Amino acid sequence: MTTKNGDTTPGVSVLRQHAEDQFKHELEALAAADDRPRPPNWKLSPWAVCTYLLGGTTPDLEISAKYIGNRRLMEIAVTTLATDRALLLLGVPGTAKTWVAEHLAAAISGNSTLLVQGTSGTAEEQIRYGWNYALLLAKGPSREALTASPLMTAMNQGSMARIEELTRMPSDVQDTLITMLSEKTLPIPELGDEVQAKKGFNVIATANNRDKGVNELSSALRRRFNTVILPTPDTEDEEVEIVRRRSESLGKALEIPAEPASVDEIRRIVTIFRELRDGKTADGKTKLKSPTGTMSTAEAISVVTNGLALAAHFGDGTVRAADMASGILGAIVKDPVQDQATFKEYLETVVKEREGWKDLYRACREMI
Amino acid sequence: MSSSLDILGIRHHGPGSARAVVRALESVSPACVLIEAPADIPRDVIDLAADQAMQPPVALLIYETENPRESSFLPFSEFSPEWCAIRWALTSKIPLRFMDLPQSHRIPVTKNFAADQKTPEEQGSQAEQADEPPSNSNAPVDPDQVLRLDPLNELARAAGFDDGERWWEHMVEHRLHEAELFPAIREAMVALRENTPQHQPGLRNHLEFLREAWMRKTIREARKEFDSVTVICGAWHSAVLDEDSLKRFKKDDDACLKGLPKVKTTTTWTPWTYEHLSSASGYGAGVTSPGWYEHLWRSPDAIIERWMTRVSRMLRKEGLDCSSAHAIEASRLAEGLASLRGRPLADLSDMADACRSIFCFDSDLAMRLIHRKLLVGERLGQVPETAPAAPLQNDLQAQQKRLRFKPEATTKTLDLDLRNETDLARSYLLHRLRMIDVPWGVPGPGGAGKGTFHELWMIRWDPVYLVRLIEYGRWGSTVAAAATAFVQHRAAETHAILELTSLLGDVLLADLPHAVEVLLYRIMNVAAVGTDVSALMEAFGPLAKSLRYGNVRQTDKEQVRQAISGILPRIVIGLPLATASLNEEAARQLEANIMEMQTGVALLEDESQQNDWLDCLDRIARTPSVHGLIQGRCARIQFDSRRWNESEISQQLSLALSHGTPPEQSAAWIEGFFRNSGLMLVHHDSLLEILDQWLSTIAADVYLNHIPLLRRTFSTFSRAERRQLAQSLSSGQTTKTQQAKPQPLDLDRERASRIIPVLKRLLNGTVSQAGGV
Repeated sequence: MTTKNGDTTPGVSVLRQHAEDQFKHELEALAAADDRPRPPNWKLSPWAVCTYLLGGTTPDLEISAKYIGNRRLMEIAVTTLATDRALLLLGVPGTAKTWVAEHLAAAISGNSTLLVQGTSGTAEEQIRYGWNYALLLAKGPSREALTASPLMTAMNQGSMARIEELTRMPSDVQDTLITMLSEKTLPIPELGDEVQAKKGFNVIATANNRDKGVNELSSALRRRFNTVILPTPDTEDEEVEIVRRRSESLGKALEIPAEPASVDEIRRIVTIFRELRDGKTADGKTKLKSPTGTMSTAEAISVVTNGLALAAHFGDGTVRAADMASGILGAIVKDPVQDQATFKEYLETVVKEREGWKDLYRACREMI
Repeated sequence: MSSSLDILGIRHHGPGSARAVVRALESVSPACVLIEAPADIPRDVIDLAADQAMQPPVALLIYETENPRESSFLPFSEFSPEWCAIRWALTSKIPLRFMDLPQSHRIPVTKNFAADQKTPEEQGSQAEQADEPPSNSNAPVDPDQVLRLDPLNELARAAGFDDGERWWEHMVEHRLHEAELFPAIREAMVALRENTPQHQPGLRNHLEFLREAWMRKTIREARKEFDSVTVICGAWHSAVLDEDSLKRFKKDDDACLKGLPKVKTTTTWTPWTYEHLSSASGYGAGVTSPGWYEHLWRSPDAIIERWMTRVSRMLRKEGLDCSSAHAIEASRLAEGLASLRGRPLADLSDMADACRSIFCFDSDLAMRLIHRKLLVGERLGQVPETAPAAPLQNDLQAQQKRLRFKPEATTKTLDLDLRNETDLARSYLLHRLRMIDVPWGVPGPGGAGKGTFHELWMIRWDPVYLVRLIEYGRWGSTVAAAATAFVQHRAAETHAILELTSLLGDVLLADLPHAVEVLLYRIMNVAAVGTDVSALMEAFGPLAKSLRYGNVRQTDKEQVRQAISGILPRIVIGLPLATASLNEEAARQLEANIMEMQTGVALLEDESQQNDWLDCLDRIARTPSVHGLIQGRCARIQFDSRRWNESEISQQLSLALSHGTPPEQSAAWIEGFFRNSGLMLVHHDSLLEILDQWLSTIAADVYLNHIPLLRRTFSTFSRAERRQLAQSLSSGQTTKTQQAKPQPLDLDRERASRIIPVLKRLLNGTVSQAGGV
């Protein structure tokens, strides 16, 4: 089951902290400065949640931007949660769906851990409740014998629950959500009882619209969600900024001793990713083949962190082209035959000719 | 000068301003109302605004009597403050005056100014562009201009609103009383205008100064007569119309208004559309979304909920699933968004975002379906019949009424059944209107396979057509007369035969008998001096068809006959000349024309005309300098119409293929003669023989050069034809001779002769004693 928020000592031993722990100071500063009305059981006002996500200032502290992109999307997302409709974040892999969901839950409920991961094997018990069979046999059906799902816990607490990859779940399991979302109750027919959601309960779901048609939402369920589609970053600068910030903070969290990668190095990575994703060069003059992978911003981030780690442990602490090359290769070549050819072609036709990219070209050539 | 003066600075077409103006008028009840509109609009035209049949959106159309192209529109919607004030004054029988610079001065001032300074961008709205609805202001281009047109909107933007109306509502409806409101607006405008110098170069500023001077002059006069005056004007002007300014500018005003040039103007009301009211149409004082404003004006309460209900109903009509639950959720989301964005009231952008997320799953495809209907609106206003109208307009209205054919602002497809009398009359009307530049209907794609009695039209009425009706009024007082006169005028102007013949086609469709005569006469004259036979030939085909088979439009056959007998001789005379020295491309074009003509001529019942035509082709076929393609085609037509027999053809073919003729000429001849008909060769051995000989005698390199040309011809033969040809060629000369002269059969003459009496009886004695068998 999920680890409760307070159970781990923040900041010391865990690999990756929850959003509410990592940005605790920002949340506290916002809460202190926030004088606007808060919906019941919300830790912050919707306005402050927006500021938390998009960045801003409080009297004490600069709030860093968690989501860089269209303001409108975040406003709709936050407002949706305030109106007690559930929120569905759609997008191709790596467009910060999970990231946004986590931060929304952290900012609104102060707890981003009430999470169900949707898989093709997700069963109804994971959405509703299971039984402690020892107790069940010993004492018969009772509330003590019930083991609550994260959603049930969220209903009891009046906080945000998250469902990852909603469309990976089988349809019949998805549909158990309908009653919870429309009537805000979870019936327990075995006990003739029910759980009624406290104010502040809501669901943030994410789904991948690349694997469309896996388990398409029924229209009844779809109607209970407000949809927000998260796009890939609009401009190169925006994407460079995202990659820079995330890899920096990841590097810090993972305690990688290297210098943060220079913006130029990041820009090169981002350019490669954007060009291959769009199927044409940045100047729009040359058409390129696109590899089979999604080439998302998230992968660009992992390439940079990967490079940081390599530089720190095997290099001189400064990120160089060679440190990036293996990461780039790993991110692009998902299909050993097709993607390899695609990337080779890209190397020979684009990278080789580009001014100042010689080192990267050589490093990549060595790898293939 | 002790009478009280109230200045109500408003947003043009702002529903909030309109409400406030009405309330202000009711509470003050002034003795006289002054409105920012040209002062030369006659009393009786203004009075029509109170008519029950007048339904906004409507516009005042003011044009120079002598030159209707110099026109401008002053649009009103039901939510325009000016409109509300006019109606209020008329129904409460309170003196109403217009105070803006009269158009009779404005038109010549603009013209003179343009002539003086030649500033092209400034002339835009008034002169020349009758298409675009110019108004009392030019199209907004620079930010300064935007500010002047709708300063309140800019204030609203500064306050974080996307749209001035919601800000107005928030500021005004919920907080201020009218008594404080308008002075407050005036103060804001004074502050805004402090930074703008009074006298700037440019037509706009010059006009603005004149206009404001005229307004002040009117106010001064009104105040002498009445003890309380209320002025309704755009917020921008409110800053300089107060008591202080009235005194301060008196001298300047009198000076600058002296000796203004003047023209005669005429004014009338015209129905208007929301589309032309929207700023997207180029109307300077336009609003982004008239549909939204109408909604704000008409909904007494629950603005968001009613809007969302409208959206969901429209989407449902388009076949998308939209329950009431959607509308509920969308309303809540819009409200939530507004409060998140720090606005007390949901704005149009909040509405749009909410709709997109709830109704369309965050994609804007569905919203685009209803965008026009929802945000712009398709309303077309109405004007009472008593409104002064040009005679042409009256005629059109009478016809529209008779044919039950109402103009609408939406684009519709109309399927006319020409067998039906009303539909035929409608078709005539649409065709005639097209002649005078009023494309109310545009011919749709030809109704293939539906029979010739169907005629498809895309119809859509645009209010600016009214200007054209007035403009074309000088050509005649009915649509038919104006169209006839205008066609005659065009015919007299042009020397291009193609234009004349295409006009002829249009005129026949529009049933304008008199115009046909004139056009024919004109075509005769132009054709006599011109050499463009191909245009005449193109016109010929359809004419011949409609003469032979008639058409459902009951076009007067006699007229068509006349047209044909006028055109054909011209073609016959001109064609031999036109065939001289053509290049490949021109020859191909002319050959197509000849083929088309031939089909047309074959339909004629007049034998002498057919003979004239064939004689002409005969001449061409025998003229040595003509392009081979055309010669071949002409020869073929002669053969097909049995004027040339096989021996004649053989002679011509061998002539065309003889040594003296350049091979390319020969190849072209072959193409013209044989294309698409291998059977000719299969059945006429003599032709095949000549062709075969020619091919075997030409030099190898010439042969190689001409293979492509020959292939082009032979590839048009069907597979079976080619096979037959190949067979007869491979079996060689001997078979051919055998076929040509079959060996005498070995018959038992005695037995054969026994059958003859029986045959004789069967065939009723027509068989003579057949000795030769």
